Amino acid sequence: MSRLAKFDVVSIEDLETSDIERVFALADSFAAQLAQGDQITTAAGLIMATLFYEPSTRTRLSFESSMHRLGGAVISSADMHASSAAKGESLADTVRVVSGYADLIVLRHPHDGAARVAAEYAPCPVLNAGDGSREHPTQTLCDLYILRKKKGHLKGLTVALCGDLKFGRTVHSLIYALARFGANIVAVPTSGMDVPDYVLKRLAAERNYSFSTVTMDELKSLAGGLDALYLTPSAPHQMALFTGDGALRNFPAAEPPAALDAFYVTRLQKERMSGKEAGPAQYVRFDARALRTSRTQEAVVMHPLPRLGELAYELDADPRAVYFEQAAAGVPVRMALIALLMEKAAAASVGPRPMAEAIRFKAEPPPRCSNLNCVTRFEGAYLAPRFTLGRSMDATVLALKCGLCERELKIEYVGHARSHRYYHFDENLQGYVRQWIEEGSLAVFDSVKQAEEAGYEPYRRGPQREIMNEEEVVGAIESLADQVIADVPDISAVSIVGVVSHGAMLALRLRGLIGSKTKVLPPCAALDAYKPADALHPIDGAENFNVEDRTIILVDDVINSGWTVQRAMATIWQRGRPAAVKLAVLIDRGHRAVPIRPNYVGKNIPTSRGERVQVRLAAAGTESKSHDRVMIYSIVEPLKEPEAAH
Amino acid sequence: MQSGFFLGVAMSAAPIVALDAAQVGRSIKRIAMEIAERNGGADNIVLVGIVRRGATLAERIADELRANGRREVPVGTLDISSYRDDGKGLPGDPRLIGRDIPFSLDAKRVVLVDDVLYTGRTVRAALDAISDLGRAESVQLAVLVDRGERELPIRADYVGKNIQAPHGQRVYVRLTEIDGADAVVVGNANVK
Repeated sequence: MSRLAKFDVVSIEDLETSDIERVFALADSFAAQLAQGDQITTAAGLIMATLFYEPSTRTRLSFESSMHRLGGAVISSADMHASSAAKGESLADTVRVVSGYADLIVLRHPHDGAARVAAEYAPCPVLNAGDGSREHPTQTLCDLYILRKKKGHLKGLTVALCGDLKFGRTVHSLIYALARFGANIVAVPTSGMDVPDYVLKRLAAERNYSFSTVTMDELKSLAGGLDALYLTPSAPHQMALFTGDGALRNFPAAEPPAALDAFYVTRLQKERMSGKEAGPAQYVRFDARALRTSRTQEAVVMHPLPRLGELAYELDADPRAVYFEQAAAGVPVRMALIALLMEKAAAASVGPRPMAEAIRFKAEPPPRCSNLNCVTRFEGAYLAPRFTLGRSMDATVLALKCGLCERELKIEYVGHARSHRYYHFDENLQGYVRQWIEEGSLAVFDSVKQAEEAGYEPYRRGPQREIMNEEEVVGAIESLADQVIADVPDISAVSIVGVVSHGAMLALRLRGLIGSKTKVLPPCAALDAYKPADALHPIDGAENFNVEDRTIILVDDVINSGWTVQRAMATIWQRGRPAAVKLAVLIDRGHRAVPIRPNYVGKNIPTSRGERVQVRLAAAGTESKSHDRVMIYSIVEPLKEPEAAH
Repeated sequence: MQSGFFLGVAMSAAPIVALDAAQVGRSIKRIAMEIAERNGGADNIVLVGIVRRGATLAERIADELRANGRREVPVGTLDISSYRDDGKGLPGDPRLIGRDIPFSLDAKRVVLVDDVLYTGRTVRAALDAISDLGRAESVQLAVLVDRGERELPIRADYVGKNIQAPHGQRVYVRLTEIDGADAVVVGNANVK
C-alpha cells in the first residue's frame, strides 16, 4: 500500500478544519525541529514530482525544500512547456505517466480547473500550487498559519484585503478560509479589481457569509486617522468597516468600531492588466502611516510576495510587517501538509471526494464553459465540459456552473426532451428543470432558432395571425431575386448559402428564380451553424461547394438579433475567403444586437421582442405555393404551470 | 449616407484633409454623446477598440464619457491583423492575433471601436472574437470614418464621417497619441 493517501488538495475546501489544525500543529513541531537543526527522516524513500507549467520561484523552491527537509526526494522538469506539453500531450496523460515515477505530484498550471483534472486522473495525490486565476491553497495555509501565530487565533479577526482581488488566486483561497474560521473581511479592491461574483456567491450559499467593500480612498482616509468619516450614517458600508461581524447586516450605528487586525496586500499583477483598468498610480501604496492610527496599531501587514511598489521598504523594519516570516513559513507548512498525507494513509480512511453529478444534456451541442481560461477549452476531446446547477440571482436565466472552473454560464432557453417543447427560462421553471435533470431530459439552447432547428416547439403560443399570405410571400421572394440580379454585376461569380432549414428552402427558391431570369444557375448549399461536422453541404446535387473568391448570397428567412448571421459567416470563413458576402432575408423584424445589415430584404416587419415570426414555405420546384405564408404569434405568456413535465 | 464627401479629382493631387484636428475632436465627442444617449447612460457599456487607432479612439471615447460625469467605462482591445504571416506581403483575411479584455462581457453592451470601416472584414473577425468571449447583450459599432465599399453585410451604429474615396485611394486616420496630431487624410496609398 502506498505510504501516501490519495488525498488531493486542489482547494482549501478539500481540507477539513481539523486537517488545517493538524497541519498547523505539525508545522509548529517541524519549525522547532528545523530551528534546532534536527535531521528529519519522516518522508525518507518518498519521491515528489513538481510539474510547473507556469514560472514560479518561491512556491516551487519551498515545496522542493520541504520534501528535502523531510528526507524525501524531488524530481522535476525544468520547463513543462519545453517537454511533453509542447508535443501536445494531454494533462491527463502527463499526470498518469508521472504517477509512475513519483508518490506525489505538485502542479502549477495556467488554466482554471487544471488541478482538479490532474487530481482526477493521477493515481497519486495532487497538491495544487496554483491553477489559473483560481486557487492556491498551500499559500493560504501559510497565510493562515502566520495570522494565527501572530494573533493567537483566527476567529473574529478583522482582515483588510487590499489591491487586486480579482485575479489574485491567493486572495480567493484566503477569503474562503477566513470565512470558515469566522474572521471578518473588509475588501479594499483597486478600481475594477473587485472580488469576482462566483466567489461571493459561493460564500453566501455555503457559509451564509458576506463582507463589505470600501474604496482605496476610504482606506487612505482611515490611514490618515479621519475616523469620523466612517461613522457617517449616510454611508452605511463605511460604518461596516469596523463591525463586529464584518458584514453589513444590522449594524447599529452607535456601536463603537473594533480595530483592524491585519492588512493583506496583494501584488499589482502587471501581466494581467489593460491600460485603463488601473494604472500603477492608482494602485494601493502602503507605508508606515497606515499603522499609526489607534485602530491599526495592532495590525500586522501581510503580502504573498513578490512585491512591486505597493509596500514601502521602510515598513520592513517594523515588527508588524510579517511578510518575510510568511514566506519562511512556506517550508514547515508544506512539510506539515506532506506529513498529513502520510498520516492519512496510515489511517486509511480517505477516498476521493465525491463530485456532484454533472448534468447530462439532451440536444447537441452541449453547452461549453464561458470562461476562456477554463481548462476544458484547452485539453481536447477527453475533457468534456461538465455542469451542475448554479446559483444565479437573476430569475430570467438558468445558471449552470462549470464543474472545473466554477464559472457560471447563463442559459436563456431550456427544453424538455420528451415533450420536445422549449421554454424561455424563468424562475417558475426551476422545479421542473430539476426534475428534467433527474430524468436526463434537459436540453439547453442559445436561441429560439437553435431550439427550433433541434425540432423543439414553443411551449405555448399566443393567438396567431397571418402577416403575409401566399401572394405576398411569392412576391417578396421574387423581389429578393430582382434585388440580387440588379446589385451583383456577375451572377456567374455567385454562390448561394441558405441557413437551415427555412433559409435553405428559401435559397433553393431564389436559385430557381435567378436561374430562370439570368440563365445562370448558381451553386447552392445549406449551412447549419449548430452542427460543426456537417456545417456546410451542397443541396444542388453537386459534389462540392466552394466559397473561396465567390460572391456568397447568404439567405435566411428571418433576421432578428443577427447572431445567427455572425455564426453563419464564421462557418463560411472556416471553408475559405469569399470575395464578398451579401445577406438576403425574407423578413427583417428589427431588434439587431450586432452591427449587421441585410443587403436584400423581402419585407420589414417591426415586432415586439416576445413575438415569434414563423415562415412556412413550399419546397422549390413544387407547382403550388399554397404552403407559403408567414405567421406571427406571441410566446411571452408567463409560465405559471408548465405541464410539459407530465 | 449623410454628408458624403467625394474626391473626384484627387488621384494624383496632394493628400486632402477630410477632417482637421477640431473636427476629429468634435466627431469623437459626438460619438460618445450618441453612445450615452442610445444606451441610457454608460452603466452597462464596455468599449473594445481594435488595435491600433481603434484602441486609441476607444480610450478617447471613454475619456469623454468620464468627462460627462458618467462612470468609468472599461476599455479592452482586440488586435486583428490583415496581413498574411507567410511573408508574401499580400493582404489576407483579417484574423485575431491578440486580445486584452480583462473583464467579463456577459450581459454587457459592447461598443466595438475602429478608425475606418471599409470592407467589413476586420469587424467580422472582431465579432467572432467577441462572441467567443461570452454572452454579450449586444455589440454596437463605432467608427470615425465610414468609407463605404462594403464586402460584407456590416454597418456601423455610430459614424464620425462618411467619406467616399475613389478606389486606389486610402483614408488615413491620424491621432495625436500615435501620429502627433489629429486628422483624417485621403491620399494615394503611399502617402502618409
